[in-house]
Amino acid sequence: MVELQGVTVTYNKGMPNEQKALRDISLTVNEGEFVTIIGPNGAGKTTLLKVLLGEVSPLKGTYRIDGKLMNNRPPHHLARFIGRVYQDPNTGIFPSLSIKENLLIAAKKGFRTIRFSKLKKEGLDLLEGLGLGLEKRLGVLAGELSGGQKQSLAMIMAISSCPRLLLLDEHTAALDPRSAKSIMDLTMSINGEKGITVMMITHNMEFAGLYGRRLVEFHEGSLIKSEARSTQGLRSSVDRQVSSAVL
Amino acid sequence: MLAIIEQGLILSLLSIGVFLAFRVVNLPDLTVDGSFALGAAIAVKALFEGISPIMAITMAAVGGALAGFITALIHRRFKVNVLLAGILVMTMLYSVNLRIMGGPNLPVPRVSGQQQAPSYESMSGGTLLDDLFADSKAADGPSAAAQKKTVANLFTGRLDGQDLSKISIVIIGALLLLSLFLRTDLGTSLRAFGCNPAGVTAFGISQTFLAITGLVIGNLMVGLSGGLFALYSGFSDVTLGQGMVVTGLASVILGEIIFGKVKFLYGLLAPVAGGVLYQALLSTAMRYGYRIGFLASDMKLLTALFVISVIGVRQLASSPRKQRFRAEVKRLWLNSRGSR
Repeated sequence: MVELQGVTVTYNKGMPNEQKALRDISLTVNEGEFVTIIGPNGAGKTTLLKVLLGEVSPLKGTYRIDGKLMNNRPPHHLARFIGRVYQDPNTGIFPSLSIKENLLIAAKKGFRTIRFSKLKKEGLDLLEGLGLGLEKRLGVLAGELSGGQKQSLAMIMAISSCPRLLLLDEHTAALDPRSAKSIMDLTMSINGEKGITVMMITHNMEFAGLYGRRLVEFHEGSLIKSEARSTQGLRSSVDRQVSSAVL
Repeated sequence: MLAIIEQGLILSLLSIGVFLAFRVVNLPDLTVDGSFALGAAIAVKALFEGISPIMAITMAAVGGALAGFITALIHRRFKVNVLLAGILVMTMLYSVNLRIMGGPNLPVPRVSGQQQAPSYESMSGGTLLDDLFADSKAADGPSAAAQKKTVANLFTGRLDGQDLSKISIVIIGALLLLSLFLRTDLGTSLRAFGCNPAGVTAFGISQTFLAITGLVIGNLMVGLSGGLFALYSGFSDVTLGQGMVVTGLASVILGEIIFGKVKFLYGLLAPVAGGVLYQALLSTAMRYGYRIGFLASDMKLLTALFVISVIGVRQLASSPRKQRFRAEVKRLWLNSRGSR
């Protein structure tokens, strides 16, 4: 579904502070897969996400979704295929709009016109499925919700227009452990029940071990490991990394 | 009093434009100073060309919208900071306005029997400056008889309520249309863009498109206000727009003080109420201020100081130290109540 071939990204090309953020990355992510991406700071994980979102153009290499070349497409075009949730819950929602208006915005992707859309049942069902009672508070401003509620809403918004791919960039990092766990359960159900392909960046080694069918590791801009494993296998692989990091 | 309300309502359209740019799409647009004068210049020039007043103010609004479009385009396409883009367009419009008017000012062509709208000074009972400029006012601009093509002004200047009703129709129409627009899919995405610009991209909406839409609509209102203001006050001047951003901001802030967190009609009532109140305060200051040494020319200074002081007070009120102080006062007060 997503195919990267020899992608290289260099920041400040030709300048004294030139930095190779991604080096010849080749990665294929299949339909419905859950890929967990780990690596230390500066490894190139977020740059990879930016390439996928069209925010950074690769210097070399190709990027395809469903076989279609996506290099140099503007971010709002790529957004039609991709949903995203970031670390800060406020980035995925519109704080000064009500919950209902947030869902209305998320209900479709692309150009808006002068028409009055109504909230669809699917959107309400998704909200109800969270079990947070947000469906009874549709008029409340999204900015007034708690961090966990905001992130749950952001997740619902990211998938309500049925994207092909969901990109998650440390989306549980700003949450307390209980909220983080419930958001991860939601992530799993999105992947499992809706079949949406998920690529998740995380620094949380526990989550990296528990979630995802494939573990991809980056180091200094290079992809050093990509292994499809059973959950048990993943767990031990992550444990080894934690041990080596501690040592 | 009627004249104050009329003038306040006309300028409230300017405040709505500033509100849309600064509060709704969150783009501090300085084009306003130029687009207000552009609207005025286009409207008066159109009357000189024999175009009907309704068409003239429509053209003024379109002119303002075009100015906003250019600012947004410079900002988004050339990645120029929106403040600088606004200043650049405002500077360009100074020359454009001179071209349109063929000089630094242009009076509205008068037909016989039509009165000039009252000035700030006459509204507030006159100032010492009236005597100073009495002679120059009489000689100002070409007479109506000298003009070949003239059409009746939209406003009579008679303070009999006719002008007020015309202005009110425009204001109510603008408020209804804008509040309806802000409810549509496009309007909602515009409000979303204002609070999270990067977020709209995630839903496939172009930020450039929304920035252009926001500044076009904002400056359309400003151009309309400029056009109406010129027809109402009977002249257009190349310096008419000076400090209009600050005037608009002061009106928006005043309105927000009155309405607080009430967001009826998406907060659009705040700039309207603020615009009228601002004019009332201004004419009061003009009427009594000169007794303590204020001049009409000091008003821009006072307006800017007002905006700075409100922003400063809000900033201080939201500082953690102030909040701790408040919490402590509240705790002591609750304790004292509990001990009784």
